[in-house]
Amino acid sequence: MKNLICLLCVFSLTTIHAFNSINKQVDKEIKSAFEIENYVTELKIIDSELKSELSSDFWNNNFYEIKNEQELVGYAYIGEGFGKTDNFEYLLLFDVNLIIVKSKVLKYREDYGGEIGSKRWLKQFIGKSSKDKLLYGENIAAISGATLSVKSMTNSVNKVLESIAILQNKNIL
Amino acid sequence: MKKIILLALFLVANYSMSQTVSQDTTSTKNQQQNAAQNILNGTSSKGITIGGYAEIDYNQPEGDNGKLDVHRLVVLMGYKFNDKVQFVTEIEYEHVKEVYIEQAFLNYSLNDNLNIRGGLMLVPMGIVNEYHEPTTFNGVERPNVDKSIVPTTWREIGLGISGKIDNANLRYQAYVFNGFASVNGSNVLGGSNGLRNGRQKGAESTINTPNLSAKIDFYGIQGLRLGFSGYFGRSQAADEVDAIEGSDVGISMFGLDGRYVKNRFSARGQYIHTIINDAKNYNALYETNLGSELKGWYIEAAYNLLPTSNEQKLDAFVRYEQYDTHAATTDADISRNLSYNRNEWTTGLSYHIAQGAVVKADYQIFDNALSNSEAKGQFNLGLGVWF
Repeated sequence: MKNLICLLCVFSLTTIHAFNSINKQVDKEIKSAFEIENYVTELKIIDSELKSELSSDFWNNNFYEIKNEQELVGYAYIGEGFGKTDNFEYLLLFDVNLIIVKSKVLKYREDYGGEIGSKRWLKQFIGKSSKDKLLYGENIAAISGATLSVKSMTNSVNKVLESIAILQNKNIL
Repeated sequence: MKKIILLALFLVANYSMSQTVSQDTTSTKNQQQNAAQNILNGTSSKGITIGGYAEIDYNQPEGDNGKLDVHRLVVLMGYKFNDKVQFVTEIEYEHVKEVYIEQAFLNYSLNDNLNIRGGLMLVPMGIVNEYHEPTTFNGVERPNVDKSIVPTTWREIGLGISGKIDNANLRYQAYVFNGFASVNGSNVLGGSNGLRNGRQKGAESTINTPNLSAKIDFYGIQGLRLGFSGYFGRSQAADEVDAIEGSDVGISMFGLDGRYVKNRFSARGQYIHTIINDAKNYNALYETNLGSELKGWYIEAAYNLLPTSNEQKLDAFVRYEQYDTHAATTDADISRNLSYNRNEWTTGLSYHIAQGAVVKADYQIFDNALSNSEAKGQFNLGLGVWF
């Protein structure tokens, strides 16, 4: 019983700040994916009229250009999906040709469905671009026990790719 | 300068995130919304989640009268106090008139990979005990291995940890739980359902020895999920008898399960093996017939008859089950009842008319190892929802 109380004390003293960890994760992923140490990110401002043509996943000022010494090296998108009872955030990194080079779940709040954080599963998005249509169960594998989260992320990434296609057609990207 | 821009990026990102968090905590995060959720969205009840599941069944055994039953109706309620602390409860109505609490636990998320939780929780053993919502399994009724060998819905009060390791593609759970009662009211362990009578379900439950439960799930192979479960401890004897030899039994349960999905094909299987120690003295004391080993397995394959691009799904499936609550009886000093060595075929359709709503129909053939046993058939039709 004493041990149990000690254990509880240790747990209750531990605090980890979620958002700090998101910042660090994004920074780490950009540096590692593009093999750069120094970079700046600039919000890609999308004309409000054009926004209505794009998926709502694109409305939150969450698409950025990544530049290294004035030169464009890629793009970052921070998206959101839903599990069973809570939302989660994920990161997509694109190269200059808007092909996905990295996908990562940044913050997953539920216990169930957290399987989508699997490195192996997230690899499936790499190489996909606006030319691709993601199909749950076909080119994006299902995960038993995480169906809602898997479908949510697949749908969300699909909408991002569709929106990118629109922006490419209009020569905005 | 670069750092300032970077900081700005994250402020913007965080701002948009915190905005969405506050919006999202007003409802469940499922695509669909029910009336209650719509109401909640319009109020200031931040942090509340409402959901539930239900099974309405029609069972028609050959040659007997049928049964119509609101088998289970469960209301899920959750409250998120902040990003780390969440309370989850499920209130269950079984057969309309029996009320239970199926889950009621407080979860503290230490970080993305580690949660500590306590309260009334599901014991992680096999597939269906944890994933028992009607849209997650084929067949109107749960597999019978998940009734007689794993006594679903198996839940007790306990404390433990759960989490995931992304790099290793693992989910882990480890708990200290209260165990089965040696005698539950007037019911004892044994017979065709093994340990099922001993479930205390967190209702004024007796504890004298805590039990351990753990499960590891591995999902590092595309489309495949494997689970390894273990449960170890003793049954709980009441004060008046706990010094008497035979007043409790030792229980060790091992489970192996797998689920696979590839395009329109899916399959799952499960093997559960329970070893009971001291069953001999227990059987003598309570004049019952608890086996010294309980064993069961099933395997199931399904194929979606609709294209995967459709929102609807129509799974045709077939399942074979074999389970025996008298898998070994010599050490328990009882005679083996071959009618407890059962097998069954189940085949049918699960028509998912929307994500979260399913209409099921199947036919089952029950048989056992008695030489003069006659196989019995049963038709089932059911509605299931989960939101």
